[in-house]
Amino acid sequence: MSEQAVDTEPLLAVRNLSMRFTVGRGFLGIAGRMTVDAVTGVDLDVREGETLGLVGESGCGKTTLGRCILRAYRPTAGELRYRRDDGTVVDLAQLNRAQLRPYRRQIRTVFQDPNSSLNPRMTLLQIVGEPLLANDLARGDELRDRVAEALRMVGLRPEYMHRYPHAFSGGERQRIGIARALITNPRLVIADEAVSALDVSIRSQILNLLEDLQEQLGLTYIFVSHDLAVIQHLCDRVAVMYLGRIVEQAPTEELFSRPRHPYTEALLSALPLPDPRLRSLKKRIPLRGEVPDPANQPAGCTFHPRCPYTRERCDTDEPALLPVTDTGHVPHLSRCHYADTLELEGVAARTLEPTSLRNAEKTSGAEEVR
Amino acid sequence: MNHMSDTATTQPAAARSQPPLLEVRGLRTRFELPEGVVHAVDGVDLTVYPGQTLCVVGESGCGKSVTARSILQLVDPPGRITAGTVNFHVGPDHPLLTARHPSRRDQAAVRSARDGVLDLAALDPKGTAIRAIRGKEIAMIFQEPMVSLSPVHTIGHQIVEHIRTHEDVSKKEARDRAIEALRQVGIPQPERRVDSYTFHLSGGMRQRAMIALALACRPKLLIADEPTTALDVTTQAQILDLLQELREQYGMAMLFITHDLGVVAEIADAVAVMYLGLVVEECGVDELFHDPRHPYTKALLESVPVVGPRAKRRLATITGMVPHPYDRPTGCPFHTRCRDTMPGTCDTTVPPVLTTTEGRRRTVRCLLYESAEALHRGTVREEVSR
Repeated sequence: MSEQAVDTEPLLAVRNLSMRFTVGRGFLGIAGRMTVDAVTGVDLDVREGETLGLVGESGCGKTTLGRCILRAYRPTAGELRYRRDDGTVVDLAQLNRAQLRPYRRQIRTVFQDPNSSLNPRMTLLQIVGEPLLANDLARGDELRDRVAEALRMVGLRPEYMHRYPHAFSGGERQRIGIARALITNPRLVIADEAVSALDVSIRSQILNLLEDLQEQLGLTYIFVSHDLAVIQHLCDRVAVMYLGRIVEQAPTEELFSRPRHPYTEALLSALPLPDPRLRSLKKRIPLRGEVPDPANQPAGCTFHPRCPYTRERCDTDEPALLPVTDTGHVPHLSRCHYADTLELEGVAARTLEPTSLRNAEKTSGAEEVR
Repeated sequence: MNHMSDTATTQPAAARSQPPLLEVRGLRTRFELPEGVVHAVDGVDLTVYPGQTLCVVGESGCGKSVTARSILQLVDPPGRITAGTVNFHVGPDHPLLTARHPSRRDQAAVRSARDGVLDLAALDPKGTAIRAIRGKEIAMIFQEPMVSLSPVHTIGHQIVEHIRTHEDVSKKEARDRAIEALRQVGIPQPERRVDSYTFHLSGGMRQRAMIALALACRPKLLIADEPTTALDVTTQAQILDLLQELREQYGMAMLFITHDLGVVAEIADAVAVMYLGLVVEECGVDELFHDPRHPYTKALLESVPVVGPRAKRRLATITGMVPHPYDRPTGCPFHTRCRDTMPGTCDTTVPPVLTTTEGRRRTVRCLLYESAEALHRGTVREEVSR
């Protein structure tokens, strides 16, 4: 998927995007105002047909970034260069409400919680058909036909279109949300934690559905999630966020097997691996402290107070997001002064090493290697 | 992390010789609602050995939390425990067995206790006996600490109150113990934090405070109901490490409820897989991951995206969804979604518990296995294997 898209211009080029919120402090804002930099200087290319993962802990700005791209927020600085069907490029960040209208149906979103994102007083026909009505794309019988088709596409029976959301289970409601996102034939879909609220057996159904739909319709996804396992399963490229900045960006395989930022390494090492025999082999990188308050960010590298490899330079100089040198042709960016010299450990190293696995097998005495 | 693997291999052997700490047999809890009766827990069997971690896994609505609450008689009406025993080893000399209880139910239950084993399900849910167990012998931590801790009392106040409920100590002493408890769960500057409110703390710190509260009276068993689900991965890793450390330090057992198989692989000694109010498989953690026997366990393991070299493969799915609680299937509850379902058998008979004790103990509820011996070998009925 990603290979064919490499030489063409990206579908969406995010340049130096920042989002700053001003909030009141103290009771009813009487203690003055303060600013929170939720997203700072993000550069990101989204190529046509790929799935880009945005991963990070809560409060790192991944949802805000997604909403800026949707233009649910107006970013305080930066550009959102979107390539139209005819090849011309438009900066979405500068457009006003009316000018944005045609793009609202090309960039769509799937929400996290299928229960709160569907209006309980509307039938499926109304929920899924509303984007068509709002954009004046279809009405009457045509509307009904297109809703039926969208429902069929996500694996729901079209006969159900006169029912209300309460009649459906969590997985089915998420399918309704997906149908609503896809009914306008979008080019870019932003899925914000789209499977996080779902149970294991339902989650795999929805993940497979998202993959099938991408293949059928040639969709581009930005997949926002805190779940690294889901990200690795679904995404072609991954951007790791910490405190509003992208700290590392690389193709999925590369990022998981050879991370180049200490934060990525810590995230990967914190992941529980579904194999009890690997317990003893696992080296966990302990992270000191907690994510700093985004309103009061540390100087220098924002990760330095928690970084196990920190040196003097880290608390004064802020590193830039730069390509790592020795990866060959793979574009791999890292926001760390020592990205080239640090020897960081990925996930594949832990699970693939044949000798360590053999040792683990001996101790546990199981006969089958899965 | 090496000390963890040592205990994982040595503990079960030591644990087997000891009598179980907690033995749940045939537990049934149901909710009688105007729309119908929900059999949330429908004959659950669980065994927890001293010092061991038993993980209970299952999807939402399978009855994991209700099981945990039933053990401590914490089910709110219209929920009611209708059958089963919850045998808890309090020890033969426990003051609870000689104390005077105002409730007749408590008196009867205490009288019928043998060898220091008390049936918690027979106690009065509002009696003095179960209140002496809760928090003191069996403590519980919950998913959302913000909901289960009081927002209008300081952390210290809550821990002090908890200690003084169960033990006859002075306020000063209890406060010192509260500070010590906070230090042990890794809260920095416990002397200051003891006077802070829950909203002063971050999610991870709140969960640590919750753990400090639960462990302040050194319980023999800790029931943890999805304690890390609301946390980030890095915080989750810290909390799991902390729980493991404290468990070893105090030699307490843990009943850990989760839906995350990664967490299970990380901390469990034994695992019970639940589906629609039944434990369908209970076995050691290695057996579960590398040699599962029940079709539901197998399907569950295949449908989880795994970090590692096999991440990109297409996920297997379990067809359909968990049936509606009012509308439980007859026979085996999983037969409507099972790949190997046998028409005429699975939809009529509730599978009995098969137990094999060769190697490590394993119990399975599945009609594919004709006998305990077939279960041990892993051979299924002929009509299916063909």
